[in-house]
Amino acid sequence: MMSLNRYILRRLIEIGISFFVILTLLFFLFHLAPGDPVARMVNPNLSAEDEARLIAHMGLDLPLGQQYLRFVGNFFTGEFGVSFHYGQPVAEIIADRLPNTILLFTTAVILSALAGVWLGKIVAWRKGQPLDTAVTIGALVCHTLFLPWIAMLMIWLFGYRWGWFPITGMISPEIWIDPHSGWASKGLDILYHMVLPLLTLFLVHFGSYLLIMRSSMLETLGEDYIYTARAKGLPEKVIRDHHASPNAALPVITSVGLSLAFSINGGALTEKVFSWPGIGRELVSAVSYNDYPLALTCFLLIAAVVLAANLVVDVMYAFLDPRIRY
Amino acid sequence: MKLNRKYLPPAFFNGSQPYRWAVLLCLLAWAVTAGACRQPSVEGILRIGLPEEPRTLNVWLASDAASRTVLRQIYQPLYEDDPETLEPVPWLAAALPVYDAARLTYTITLRPAHWSDGTPLTSSDVAFTARMIQEFKIPMLSSRWKQVERIETPDAATVVVHLKRPLATFLSRTLEAAIVPAHQWEPIAQAARESAKPLAYLLNYNMKDPVGSGPFLFKQWRRGDYLYLQRNPHYFATGQTIADRKMGPYIEGLLFKVYGTTDVAMLALRQGDIDMFWQGIQPGYVAILNKNPHIKVFDSQKSALYYMGMNTRRPPFSDVHLRRAVALMIDKGFLVDRLLQGRGTQLFSIIPPGNRQWHNPDVPRYGEGLKYRERLRRAYELLLSAGYSWEMPPFGSQGDIQSAKGLRRPDGTPMGKVIILTPPADYDPARAISGTMIQEWLQALGIPAMARPMEFSALIDQIKNRRDFDAFILGYGRLSIDPDYLGSFFESSGDKTRGLNTSGYRNETFDRLAEESQCAMDPVIRHQMIMEMQRIIMEDVPYVPLYVPNMIEAAYTARFDGWVPMLDGIGNRWSINMVRPTSGRHD
Repeated sequence: MMSLNRYILRRLIEIGISFFVILTLLFFLFHLAPGDPVARMVNPNLSAEDEARLIAHMGLDLPLGQQYLRFVGNFFTGEFGVSFHYGQPVAEIIADRLPNTILLFTTAVILSALAGVWLGKIVAWRKGQPLDTAVTIGALVCHTLFLPWIAMLMIWLFGYRWGWFPITGMISPEIWIDPHSGWASKGLDILYHMVLPLLTLFLVHFGSYLLIMRSSMLETLGEDYIYTARAKGLPEKVIRDHHASPNAALPVITSVGLSLAFSINGGALTEKVFSWPGIGRELVSAVSYNDYPLALTCFLLIAAVVLAANLVVDVMYAFLDPRIRY
Repeated sequence: MKLNRKYLPPAFFNGSQPYRWAVLLCLLAWAVTAGACRQPSVEGILRIGLPEEPRTLNVWLASDAASRTVLRQIYQPLYEDDPETLEPVPWLAAALPVYDAARLTYTITLRPAHWSDGTPLTSSDVAFTARMIQEFKIPMLSSRWKQVERIETPDAATVVVHLKRPLATFLSRTLEAAIVPAHQWEPIAQAARESAKPLAYLLNYNMKDPVGSGPFLFKQWRRGDYLYLQRNPHYFATGQTIADRKMGPYIEGLLFKVYGTTDVAMLALRQGDIDMFWQGIQPGYVAILNKNPHIKVFDSQKSALYYMGMNTRRPPFSDVHLRRAVALMIDKGFLVDRLLQGRGTQLFSIIPPGNRQWHNPDVPRYGEGLKYRERLRRAYELLLSAGYSWEMPPFGSQGDIQSAKGLRRPDGTPMGKVIILTPPADYDPARAISGTMIQEWLQALGIPAMARPMEFSALIDQIKNRRDFDAFILGYGRLSIDPDYLGSFFESSGDKTRGLNTSGYRNETFDRLAEESQCAMDPVIRHQMIMEMQRIIMEDVPYVPLYVPNMIEAAYTARFDGWVPMLDGIGNRWSINMVRPTSGRHD
């Protein structure tokens, strides 16, 4: 176990260095790109003097090196700055939007991974049969679906045409402004709004988990211990679920781990089409408004989570597969 | 009831038991949620779709359309433009201001009014607002109050404003700014004064509960989802008649919902999830909206300017003849018919025709109504007489059109490549495609033009900050009714980094007129000056005005009706005061 600790320590140091490099690169990328936060406000009432004052108010009049040092100093003391666009602390905005994104995207990743693994396991076991062919083709089709298109189709069909589900948003404001609405009806309202985006994300994502699981499972099926298990006369279901799939699931775990990490950045397109108030939409608008503090902090949050998830996945391997030792 | 095996995939039965449970649970959950989420009654609440999340409720930071739409229902000005005449009419003020030319003062009398928290709105609130804007030099507003020397408040209902010099735009620009309550903002201003960066403190102040004097008061905001305003019981105008209209509001509340895309907002409108979408829509949506009998589409003129600007600081566009030839070649009719699908107006002056009071139709109208061949011939002759030459001119010896080549400027140097910068097509398809069309027309004349779409803020950076370009296509989507901007766009003093005079135009006569028109207190004289300024600009064409798209808006009229169309559409203060439930209109 000692070696594992040392491994973790080494990885933590590496992660720290990578993070710092990412932070530096991002900072200069944003600040050196043409345009500034006041550029978009083309307005005859905004005089050149006003613009200069706004630039100074955002601290962008200082030399770039000084801005960088200030940014780094603030960042590592937990001061992420104030969004240029919203005039609100960046941490507050992220804290406001992140739960919405996690609710939708993490649920979607977990559900589609569970379904993908489960179905992948079954079809691999029936390789070459019509079920396998049908499901594999289905999964491939889903995997290649263009997300905004399928999202619009879902909204149009289930939301507009048949009226089964609300067309967009995370809640019905009509319920939320009603003082008589209780927590139960608000909670159900969110669930009801989640169905369509969740279904869309599920369709787009579960195919890839299914395909990974299927091919990993097929590799496992040729292993000696499967023959041994068969030779022992174990039921097929036991071989599949207890002997083959735990080994086959390892590549899926990596993929799910990383997807979970990336799920905090949401999906700008999904969030936009479904008017879901998450972090992905915020990130895109922050970039287009040149809202450096907000955009940088969002990106760095994603970087931190993805780096951490990599580490967690690696460590989990050691626990899931006792053969792996660091 | 037993499920029929035949219609289910084999996996349904080969899979484990939990699968079946999952399906049943999903169905049950859907039934429960769908049942529980039946929309409660929202009678009397007008639901408005917004294309973007409002930036803030802090009125000093609100430079975006969404925040302003919301805050306009809360904060009120002293004067507002009449929907028909577009002349200022008293709003919070009781009458038009009285100007004393000798003392350089404006005296304004206020109506009896209250803030939404019940405290009276007095002259000291007006004075406080003005002083705050001046003291903190609040961007976009401070220039309007610059000429104010001091403000006196002899009594609670009277404001006397002393000007440093006569200011013609004082009524139409300065007095149409919103008034904020001193009792809410004074402590904040005090804290700002004591902070290291007063302006930053003020702009970043997190205003959670704005107190206003408008028809609605702030109730709730769930960021990213909705913003809810409730009817203000203290609203001063309720029951009053202003500009021949009996003011409401006739609705109980305003519910703003944010939509990520216009496509989805249009579905919401067709379904009646919203009663109006507060944003101009593309002409492409009109046909499908018209199919719904409950939807009314409003097509209004806009006070806007879409134009091609040329860099007059350097060749080739430092030559007025070339600029005129370019203006001749541009087929504005084509742009309006094809790109705007006919929903727009060709523009021949900087002030758009929708602004009837100030538009000058009597300016050089380059190429109006001319066929392609005639434009080309006139532009060719214009350049020829100015000393330009071609290796192969646009017209052959038989008068046939041929592809022009080898254009040389009057000094004999070859005409280099000319880049027309445009916003990208995803920002505004009409401007991006206009660039391509203009490129073709200029090439026909032998000008090696090339349209180049560029990311929007990079484009502005190139034009306003670096000032390194040949030509560009941009637009002002919303110009004030007072034509004060005409001076700002072309005065020599605006030709600087971040200045508004992007084409670097310099003309002493124009500068003098612009200066004088600001002080011309006689409306007739000011009118003449503005007409003359438009004529000068169109003679020299630093900007070629292209078109004004119409403001196309849609409202769902099954629940509410009574929208007031005016210049710039139905999304205005009058509409919000006049809209009423449709069912109540049968009596």
